[in-house]
Amino acid sequence: MTGRSPSNLWTMARLGNRIRGISRLSPTATAGVIIILLFGVLALFSDMFMPHDPVSSFTDRILQPPSAQHWFGTDGNGMDVFSRVIYGAKFGFGIAIPAVIIAVLIGVPVGLIAGYRGGLLDEVLMRIFDGLRVFPSIILALAVVAATGQSLLNVVLVLGFLDSPVFARLVRSEVLALRSSIFVESAIAAGNPTWRILFLHLLPNSIQGAMAQTAVRAAWAVRISATLAFLGVGIQAPTPEWGAMIRQGAEFMVSGQWWVAIFPGIALILLVFGLNLFGDGIQDILDPRRRVSK
Amino acid sequence: MNFSHFIFRRTLMVIPLLVGVVFLTFMLVRVGGLDPVGLLAGPTATAEEFKMIREELGLDQPLWKQFVIYAQNVIRGDLGESWLSNRPVLDDIMARSLISLELLFWGIGIGTLIGVPMGLRAAFRPNGRFDQTTRILSLLGFSIPTYWLGLVMLFVFFYLLRWAPPGMGRISLMISPPDFITGSYLIDSLLTADWRAAHSALAHLILPVICLAIVSAAPIIKQTRAIALEVIASDSVRYARACGLQTRTVRSIVFKNSATPIITFVGTEITGLVGTMSLIEYVFAWGGLGQYGLNAIVRGDFTAVQGYVLTLALFSVLVFLVVDIIIAIIEPRVDLS
Repeated sequence: MTGRSPSNLWTMARLGNRIRGISRLSPTATAGVIIILLFGVLALFSDMFMPHDPVSSFTDRILQPPSAQHWFGTDGNGMDVFSRVIYGAKFGFGIAIPAVIIAVLIGVPVGLIAGYRGGLLDEVLMRIFDGLRVFPSIILALAVVAATGQSLLNVVLVLGFLDSPVFARLVRSEVLALRSSIFVESAIAAGNPTWRILFLHLLPNSIQGAMAQTAVRAAWAVRISATLAFLGVGIQAPTPEWGAMIRQGAEFMVSGQWWVAIFPGIALILLVFGLNLFGDGIQDILDPRRRVSK
Repeated sequence: MNFSHFIFRRTLMVIPLLVGVVFLTFMLVRVGGLDPVGLLAGPTATAEEFKMIREELGLDQPLWKQFVIYAQNVIRGDLGESWLSNRPVLDDIMARSLISLELLFWGIGIGTLIGVPMGLRAAFRPNGRFDQTTRILSLLGFSIPTYWLGLVMLFVFFYLLRWAPPGMGRISLMISPPDFITGSYLIDSLLTADWRAAHSALAHLILPVICLAIVSAAPIIKQTRAIALEVIASDSVRYARACGLQTRTVRSIVFKNSATPIITFVGTEITGLVGTMSLIEYVFAWGGLGQYGLNAIVRGDFTAVQGYVLTLALFSVLVFLVVDIIIAIIEPRVDLS
């Protein structure tokens, strides 16, 4: 690939226009993408950015304030906070992405089938979802992780599972609206098997709303997983995860060593904020009703 | 249609949901295959003792039978005993509920008083400077971890400025709490004219309430704006405008028409906020139900966790019910039948 052939230039120019068009449509979404990409680079290439090992302690430099050597200071174990904050990005993405994928993989088929079949199955599922809604999500996540076993894998599974109703509901309501439309009826009349109707005809037409939610749900997953770690459920210190780091720094906040907890908190806010910005912008772009005429 | 009849039937409709809630709470502990027997029996227990404890807890029964027993106990108000302290869970919860309600009341009250006007103002001039700013601010509010905000507040207002008391409890240890009237230290001490206690209670309340208000205002701003925008686009408001009514009058029409969905939204928000609040309690050592529940979760005290989760869910169901009744009162369009 030379990358300089006219057709390539043409596609690149078109891509550039496309990006400019989108960024004009929603500057907030663009800002969100930039923040997410920055953290993505930190997570993927953290080795290049970390000045120290995130879990090796300098026993002679415990709780040192930010300096040229340790930009964000050192924590109670003498570990470099800057390196740990950078490494923490790995946990942010490493938990949120698989959790959202699991939520989609469970929620979307459930929503498809419930919406298409209707009847008792649909009724029962919706009642269960209604029941789940009266529990605060953070408490439910905490209690289920604590009950089913405290491992990183389990945190991912539980978050994905608990978040799946969001996607199931969205897809279901779309399918309900599409179920009796002509293209579905003709697909049935043409003798398509049910799975074909579900996954080839209904799925592409009903998934847009659910996809638009993924960024916001990823933000939720990052936030909740950090909260779990803050409470010491699922992820334990001294794992360089942001929530766990805030937990370690909590006791030092009232004695003046602010840097241990402040920096991981800022990183956490930025990533969640970026995901929320992106998700909010995407929903604006995809849903014309949300756009306000100027 | 008779109003009390409506309330009665609306209350009956809650029953299937309650059964579901009790079932989910029951499954919460069973799903993990947790074995309380090991915890209760200790390391030196014999197989005989294990079997005895199993039978005592009813764990040798089939699952559905265990659920029936659990549901019966819940109906009788028996939430079991804490595995760790051996105290009845219901007593612990009752003692702490009011303490949490005080925080929740002020937090949501202030959050709503900030959020609704800001959301309305943003909607009156969409895409204006105020709208853009509040949009970013509310997204930021969505993104800030509550516990971190609490810690930062303690650092700034307790450690640096010395304005606030340390984040420990609801009143200074040096001051005796006021007599029990409503359960709120602030209101009780004001009622009994105990100014020193009132001052201390207020000082302890401010930081956690600000945290909760910020967290609750963010979604309220966003939703109020969306609701008001929809109302503004409706035919009735367009007609009001076309009639040449003053902007103020039109805005009050918009507010009235948005009130119902906003109240519904705030009601559903309370569910999530109760969870958020527990983290604030945890950071400020508030000593309420939230802190109790989180400690139970962290320590693996699952009867207490069950009781806590069940209480929160029942509270949400109650809030939904009250919201429906309030709406039926203020909204002439609701058909009571």
